[in-house]
Amino acid sequence: MSRDAKNLLKGLAFLSPWLVGFAAFTLIPIALSLYYSFCNYSLVQSPLFCGWDNYRQLMHDDVFWLVLRNTFLYAAMALPGGLIFALLLALLLNQKVPGQSIFRTVVFIPSLVPTIASAALWLWLLNQKLGLVNLVLGTIGIHGPGWLTDTRWVLPGLALMSIWACGNTVVIYLAGLQDVPRELYEAAELDGAGPLRRLWHVTLPMLSPVIFFNLVIAIIGVLQVFDAPYLMTQGGPNRASYFFTYYLYDSGFTYLRMGYASAMGWIQLLIVLAMTGLAFWSSKKWVYYQGK
Amino acid sequence: MKIISLSISGLLLAAGLYILIFGPRPDQAIPPDRQGDTIVEYWEKWVGSESAAMQQIVDDFNNSVGKEKHIYVQYVSTSDVQYKTLLAIAGGDPPDVAGLWHDVVVQYGALGALQPLETMAAAHGITADYYKPVYWNACHYNGHLYALVSTPGAVALFYNKKIFQESAPALRKAGLDPDRPPQTLDELDRYADALNVFSTDSNGRRHLERAGYIPMEPGWYITETQLWFGTDVWDNATGHFILNDPRVVRAYDWVQSYSKKIGGDEIREFVGQNDPTKGGFATAQNAFIAGRVAMEQQGPWMANFIHNLNPAMDGNWAAAPFPSAVPGQKDVTFCPFDALMIPKGAKHPAEAFEFIAYVNRQDVMEKLCSLHCKNSPLAKVSENFLNHHRNPFIRVFEELASSPNAYGPIQSAIGQEVGKDLQALAQGLAALTIDPNTGQPISAAAALDRLQEREEEKLALYRNEQARRAGGQNEP
Repeated sequence: MSRDAKNLLKGLAFLSPWLVGFAAFTLIPIALSLYYSFCNYSLVQSPLFCGWDNYRQLMHDDVFWLVLRNTFLYAAMALPGGLIFALLLALLLNQKVPGQSIFRTVVFIPSLVPTIASAALWLWLLNQKLGLVNLVLGTIGIHGPGWLTDTRWVLPGLALMSIWACGNTVVIYLAGLQDVPRELYEAAELDGAGPLRRLWHVTLPMLSPVIFFNLVIAIIGVLQVFDAPYLMTQGGPNRASYFFTYYLYDSGFTYLRMGYASAMGWIQLLIVLAMTGLAFWSSKKWVYYQGK
Repeated sequence: MKIISLSISGLLLAAGLYILIFGPRPDQAIPPDRQGDTIVEYWEKWVGSESAAMQQIVDDFNNSVGKEKHIYVQYVSTSDVQYKTLLAIAGGDPPDVAGLWHDVVVQYGALGALQPLETMAAAHGITADYYKPVYWNACHYNGHLYALVSTPGAVALFYNKKIFQESAPALRKAGLDPDRPPQTLDELDRYADALNVFSTDSNGRRHLERAGYIPMEPGWYITETQLWFGTDVWDNATGHFILNDPRVVRAYDWVQSYSKKIGGDEIREFVGQNDPTKGGFATAQNAFIAGRVAMEQQGPWMANFIHNLNPAMDGNWAAAPFPSAVPGQKDVTFCPFDALMIPKGAKHPAEAFEFIAYVNRQDVMEKLCSLHCKNSPLAKVSENFLNHHRNPFIRVFEELASSPNAYGPIQSAIGQEVGKDLQALAQGLAALTIDPNTGQPISAAAALDRLQEREEEKLALYRNEQARRAGGQNEP
């Protein structure tokens, strides 16, 4: 056996626990879920092939279209909100001020809080009568809404909570900001550019690959939102916060329609792929890579 | 190569040790003298005092019948027991006994996930006349007995006598008696109106400070409202849904009427305040216990929570049948229950049933139901049980559960799905959601028409699938 072959075997041996785990718990279930999506399958009965029936039924399912709409609406609020807010925070935290590391830690901490804890916290914060958010709004004369009890406000309420836990995104932005060459700012300053123009013409273009990365990660995340509405609103009121993944979960584990849930899973994958593909396609127009 | 082998062995050893030290294990070790017994694995959903009560029953069994018959029940209290049991059934390694909820009896039974119990039950003398009919019928599906009750409930009206007395002038002014609960649904509405307390803030906004009654508080049985209007949403005779039956429409119109007269914003704010952490039932935040709601629908267990969370309220509340909208119809109730089942693939079904039969012995059942502060599912109830029960109104619940107007969960395999759809519909009506076509709050009649169509389509699909599985035979 050649040295290369031996090295390959050694490498595979070290990798084998992961490979076996990946195959058993990810690859095979993914392949099976594709098959199940063409079956009636209740988990406790054997799968019964039904062709495209699950996909056809989904197209005629009012709740499917409702959860799709809810998920996109939530994404439209949480995604840009989170990206822009995190960018603004990163720009602030990038300033050389006393206590900079403390501020950075404070901003990062929420992303370390388990969802169950942050959900409990935000249930209080967003409470219509007792919550801090409405208390603050009240001081400026605004009668705060029922963030989690009003069908019109539950999505903005959940989006607000998601924006709060943007620490990871901020850290990635901060790392990107460190990489912006100083000489570009100096050159811009010499050309008479003020802070806003430096931000627009230097920082943002140089940061665009990082923004793009965060965008792709955020697209994948927001389209799979589940835990916060599951814990905080149970999809209500009146299914106003019932999202795609939540319906998938209910279909599979509560209604025991695993084939239907699998079909939803594959549609969700296609949607995520399409949205990510759109982001990649658009990136040619706005993402700038150094040296290209 | 030796280093690699050693490294891999070391890693495997470390992983093994980790699982050994920190890995899953049953709640209790099997005593050395019982190692040779048949071990019956029992998964249960309860935690806290309810779990401790069942632990007492398990211990009693292990020290009596179990010892005699060489059966040892290993009791595991676990979260998400429904999903874990389901996956264990699918994986072919389920527990011998699963303690689940009433709403899966028909669903799991219809899918063949449970073992029929009728033969074993009959051999133990557990037959229809041993049980209250509502629970006995609800444990059956398609001619088979798929579960037996561990602890049941019956829904009644709880009312705060202190609030009634404090509001006596307002009640009398409305022509109502503060010394008794409402007898009809119309009366309930009038009591509720008289007991509502509003405040107005500096901006002129109205807030509901105390509700006489609102259907959404706590709203646990909101999808059963039609029972008090004389029908269920499922017709056992035809095997079809009757969601747009005029009586069902009336029921949901009634749910919506509370939001119309009090105000959607006021109710939203009020309900949100009552349970800000979505776990407020068993806390002093509970709206009934805190005196923010004068009347509500609850089961017999509420007495336990009142006593534990606000002992000062003992003696200041009472329970009575929830009034019906149908003239002359008395003792209408919904009877939820916890159930013991033997999953398909269980290794020791006969021994498992020995334990279930033990739990269903009158003395044992009464002990468990006393500890849980619930009524008994059995036809015969001892005076001792009634006289020493923690709920001083236990006779009300016993009578309700024995009533011909007691309803169990619907006998449809897609009942869980329909329940969720109805819950959303009730929330939409209570929230006065605007219908984009009319610009007015959605109407119960139109929404129930749509729901009827949706559920019947799903039922047809389900039946078609089961018929294909049975090789062309349709679901009975």
